[in-house]
Amino acid sequence: MQSPSPPQVELSQVEREALALAVTESRCATCLRSGTPLLTGLALAAAVQVLVPRLAGDYAARICLDAGIAVILAVSLNIVNGLAGQFSLGHAGFLAVGGYTAGMISYYGSLWLWGSGGVHGGWFGAGQALFLVACLAGGGVGAAVGYLMGLPTLRLRGDYLAIVTLGFGEIIRVLFQQTQPVLRTAEQFRAAGWEQFVPPPVGGSLGFSGIPKYTNNFWVYAFVTITLIVAHRLKFSSAGRNLISIREDEVAALAMGVHVTRWKVRAFVIAAFFAGIAGGLFAHESGIILSPRDAGFQRSIELVIMVVLGGKGSISGVVLAAALLASLPELLRDFDQYRMIAYAVLLIGMMLVRPQGLFGSREVWDLWRRRPQPVVAGKGAA
Amino acid sequence: MADLLQTIETSLAVGALYALIALGYTMVYGILQFINFAHSDIVVLGAWFSYRMSQQLLPRLGVDPHSPPWWAGGVVLVLAMGLCAAVGFCIERACYKPLRHSPRLNVLITAIGVSLLLQNVGQLPVVFGTQPARMPSLLPDRELFSVTFASPPAAGAEPAPAAEPRRVVIRLVDSVIFVTAGVLMVLLELLVYHTRLGTAMRAVSFRTETAALMGINVDRIISWTFLIGAALAAAAGFLFAMKYPGLNQPAHTTWVLLGLKAFVAAVIGGIGNVRGAVLGGFVIAFVEQFGAFYISSNYRDLYVFALLILMLLVRPTGLLGTNVQQKV
Amino acid sequence: MNGPPAPRPLLHISGLSLSFGGLAAVQNFSLQLPPRGLYGLIGPNGAGKTTVFNLLTGIYAPDRGTIELEGVSLAARPPHRIAAAGIARTFQNIRLFGELSVVENVQLACALRSRQHLVATLLRTPAALARERAIQQRSLELLALFDLQGRAHEAAQGLPYGHQRKLEIVRALATEPKVLLLDEPAAGMNPQEKRELAATIRHIRDAFHVAILLIDHDMGLVMDVCEQITVLDHGETIASGPPEQIQNDPQVIEAYLGTGD
Repeated sequence: MQSPSPPQVELSQVEREALALAVTESRCATCLRSGTPLLTGLALAAAVQVLVPRLAGDYAARICLDAGIAVILAVSLNIVNGLAGQFSLGHAGFLAVGGYTAGMISYYGSLWLWGSGGVHGGWFGAGQALFLVACLAGGGVGAAVGYLMGLPTLRLRGDYLAIVTLGFGEIIRVLFQQTQPVLRTAEQFRAAGWEQFVPPPVGGSLGFSGIPKYTNNFWVYAFVTITLIVAHRLKFSSAGRNLISIREDEVAALAMGVHVTRWKVRAFVIAAFFAGIAGGLFAHESGIILSPRDAGFQRSIELVIMVVLGGKGSISGVVLAAALLASLPELLRDFDQYRMIAYAVLLIGMMLVRPQGLFGSREVWDLWRRRPQPVVAGKGAA
Repeated sequence: MADLLQTIETSLAVGALYALIALGYTMVYGILQFINFAHSDIVVLGAWFSYRMSQQLLPRLGVDPHSPPWWAGGVVLVLAMGLCAAVGFCIERACYKPLRHSPRLNVLITAIGVSLLLQNVGQLPVVFGTQPARMPSLLPDRELFSVTFASPPAAGAEPAPAAEPRRVVIRLVDSVIFVTAGVLMVLLELLVYHTRLGTAMRAVSFRTETAALMGINVDRIISWTFLIGAALAAAAGFLFAMKYPGLNQPAHTTWVLLGLKAFVAAVIGGIGNVRGAVLGGFVIAFVEQFGAFYISSNYRDLYVFALLILMLLVRPTGLLGTNVQQKV
Repeated sequence: MNGPPAPRPLLHISGLSLSFGGLAAVQNFSLQLPPRGLYGLIGPNGAGKTTVFNLLTGIYAPDRGTIELEGVSLAARPPHRIAAAGIARTFQNIRLFGELSVVENVQLACALRSRQHLVATLLRTPAALARERAIQQRSLELLALFDLQGRAHEAAQGLPYGHQRKLEIVRALATEPKVLLLDEPAAGMNPQEKRELAATIRHIRDAFHVAILLIDHDMGLVMDVCEQITVLDHGETIASGPPEQIQNDPQVIEAYLGTGD
């Protein structure tokens, strides 16, 4: 071909076609289409917040809250486990990291700003803003830990990864157990020297109590919406294809130019980010005392069960499974002893009978309709 | 000096335990290429079976569990090994065998399910319950012998302020653990390298299909592998209960961590390699015990995992593992 | 084909060696593939042909030797960067992404030449959408060129065997390679299909301006389409030259009929 031009500048055929297409698009329309799901989701979240307690009572609202947090956790884990096929058993570790980070920011932030660790301000007040910042920071720290942790370990083969991530969760748990007691008053907080912050004062194995309880259904479902949008856009894009190709055949993916390690790390970081946010929401949920146990194996396993049950890569399947499994223990409190046994049997049974999960990698609505067939035909068909 | 020797003594005993458990992981991995997650629960089972037997069976044999004769421990050990081997066999037949041709991840998930099942069935009140128990000491807690060191003669420096004499104690329990584990490992070594069964095992682990074509009954070999692995795990559970009589409830994280560390030992030694598992067991015991003694015992679990990550980055095949190129 | 002035080689391989343990899988393999060259690599089972491909695509790292594409060394690069540099391959034992649809398999490869950004994807910016659609359009066009458009939305693992082989070639072409490595594309085909395949391979070379290196067991096919043939046996190059010369080479005949083994 035209050898004199440097190959870097030369546009590929795909890029040229994309440019041509982009010119013909109305930008406004696409921006609107891109923002609609978020707006709809926020409206629904507000509706859940307002309507559920009125129509079904506070207990139902509480179950909604738990289910929403479980959905965020399971859908984000599904990005790693389901789409990219990298079996992580340490997802709860990110939950704890995010939860402790967010809790520290909102609790000590409140002490510092307002002199008390309680809830501050009403709807959309300063307290809520601090809470939002805390949750996002929890997500950010979760993502950062995910990056540090993923970079060395994601080169490992599948089952090694499972063990290393499991070990990671346990390490996080041990580290949180070694933390110092919570500083109770603003005076203590102001008087404290740096050595009282170095293993951070988040309560050690007793748990981090006193975090202001800001979490409500609106915030939970707002983040559920964002998680779902991100998961959906990932799955149905070239990014998602990269992840799925890694799951299906790593060698072939490499040969097709997929930067396998980078994509694995990306999946991991995105998942850790949302787990961190879920941790923030969890930490601020009333009736919850965040403790090192939340980083442990048991919780990670529960999340894995949700993903396995829902189907690898099926977003809607995992949402259903997460919502179901998160609300069941509340409803079946009397059978708590047998719950984990039932989970275990469920897990083994699924693998023996229907290893692809309830929905496989398809979405629930695929059961009713087939994928739309694009009508584009080749222009240069030979 | 005394501290050093004492730490070495503990490391040897603990390392023997890790090695016994790691053997089960490595044997199953060598043949089926999957991590038998439920293996650590077999250890738990071994420990709790031992507890139950010394509580309930020994009195019926006319033995007082609080001052037992020398053979009581042996009986309990053998029985626990037999029971756990049976459990291991059943698990393999019921849960893993149907998945022989499934993706490895599915088998791994099944193994997690089995682990969860064992933990939670163990927690039922009719089985072991959720309370910790105290293992009766089947061995007298005796010092086999001890060496007393005078105040350390620091070379040229001024004498240390607290110059109390230090003693190195070799405990009976530790030496029994070390000797029992050693005998079992030698037996396994003989089995793997000097019997027909062992040859068949190595053949299956090397290439399953070819081994099957050579007339080896692969299913039987796999069953044997699980049997032996479970028996060794039970022995480890028994010995663990001897050393640390305060038994935690079956789903407690100490057990999970014990299993994890043993798995790390298998990986560090080179997974699939029987001698590597033994070596790895001692390596991590030394790292853990020395870290706990000389740095801080709060973070003892951290040292082992740091070592694992380091190992996987530097030499992912482990100390004695061979590099197997992925077939494309 | 390109005449006497011997164009500068597109792919320049020299002294490539790799051994597994003590076994020399490939020894001192050299090859100069000119632009639009159509070369063949043959040899008995276990001769090291696929290993050469694995070395060229970075799946194995060579013990010794150099690989240069347009003068740029590829030897120490990871596989995905080699693909980006312009070497694409098919696999002897088909390795499609089974649960992705046919068109998605091609789209994945197509995306290598698209400058899609993850954040843009998540925000669904107009540019990102346009890129996604360009990728899809281009993939469907490619499928149409190989008569696979009718099955574009089926799962790849459900395709019949022959179509799967074809899809592997389409997928490799979608990365817009400069060099295409075909690993036993004719395996399992009947004579009629093989004749068609020969025509297809020539067509690919001319329509996509790629140089092709072909592995196959079928001497007829290789002799038919290739300009130059290299014969491997036990990892060693035992002959190299145009088909007529190879056909009459005593060493090649010996390797294939096996007097020594």
